[in-house]
Amino acid sequence: MVATPRATGRDEAPTGSRSRTWRWTAVSGVALLALVTVHMVANHFVVEQVGGLRTYRQVLEYIGNPVIFPIESVFLIVVTVHSMLGLRSVLLDFGLSATTKRLLDRGLVGLGVITVAYGFVLIGVLASRA
Amino acid sequence: MSDPADGRRGSVEPGPDRELEAIRAARRAPGPVQRKGFGPVAWFDVRRRGAGHLAFSLNRITGLGLVFYLYLHLAVLSMLLGGESAWSSFLRVATLPAFLGLDVLLILGLLVHGLNGLRLALVGSGYAPDRQKALYWSLMVFGAILLLGAAIHIVGSE
Repeated sequence: MVATPRATGRDEAPTGSRSRTWRWTAVSGVALLALVTVHMVANHFVVEQVGGLRTYRQVLEYIGNPVIFPIESVFLIVVTVHSMLGLRSVLLDFGLSATTKRLLDRGLVGLGVITVAYGFVLIGVLASRA
Repeated sequence: MSDPADGRRGSVEPGPDRELEAIRAARRAPGPVQRKGFGPVAWFDVRRRGAGHLAFSLNRITGLGLVFYLYLHLAVLSMLLGGESAWSSFLRVATLPAFLGLDVLLILGLLVHGLNGLRLALVGSGYAPDRQKALYWSLMVFGAILLLGAAIHIVGSE
């Protein structure tokens, strides 16, 4: 048996918000299967270089592509959302108090916003150089 | 909004029939599957644990590794802002055999996390709840084949 439901030791039934968080994690995870595949294939299995890594010029051409730019933008958002939800799930394993949990939620939202903003600056600057 | 299925999770009535029925009900219910114990220490506690615990622990460990990689990746890509010479210097290091090996390790992490995550999403959504062990091992074999192909491609490109 792969997953065995048993008492968790936390003595609390999962709440509706926990179920919603799980759904968001699952949906973003399934979306990532497609997005990561595109990202990895494009960056490791298309270019005829050592390791499939792109040169500077090739990176600019890649990110400046009108099809690739939106795909990479969506990838950045989805991977950040999934990462923050996953990180939250791991940190909740420590059995945090309600106050700490609220702080954690705010901190992860902040970190996620900063990550996406920085990523957009990065791909925006590179696309502008293409 | 509370999910009525949530009430079926996290507790198991005593008695073999009731326990079996409770496990089946919990498996059918959408949403996350509860684990034995909690806390990162429990991830490494392999006593009387089966493939389910292995899958759970691997998902946590690979997930943390991938979050670390996300920020490492953003930091590395920041070198592109330094122009062609900065990126070329990085490529000289990144194409060394040891670094290509790290690429293969990254793909291993992605495959384990992604394919096991797919299993969790399917089972949590009520698909194939009674076949998750078969699903897990099938996906891991599929992942191993993909990893082998990717490793041959990356290392063979030297």
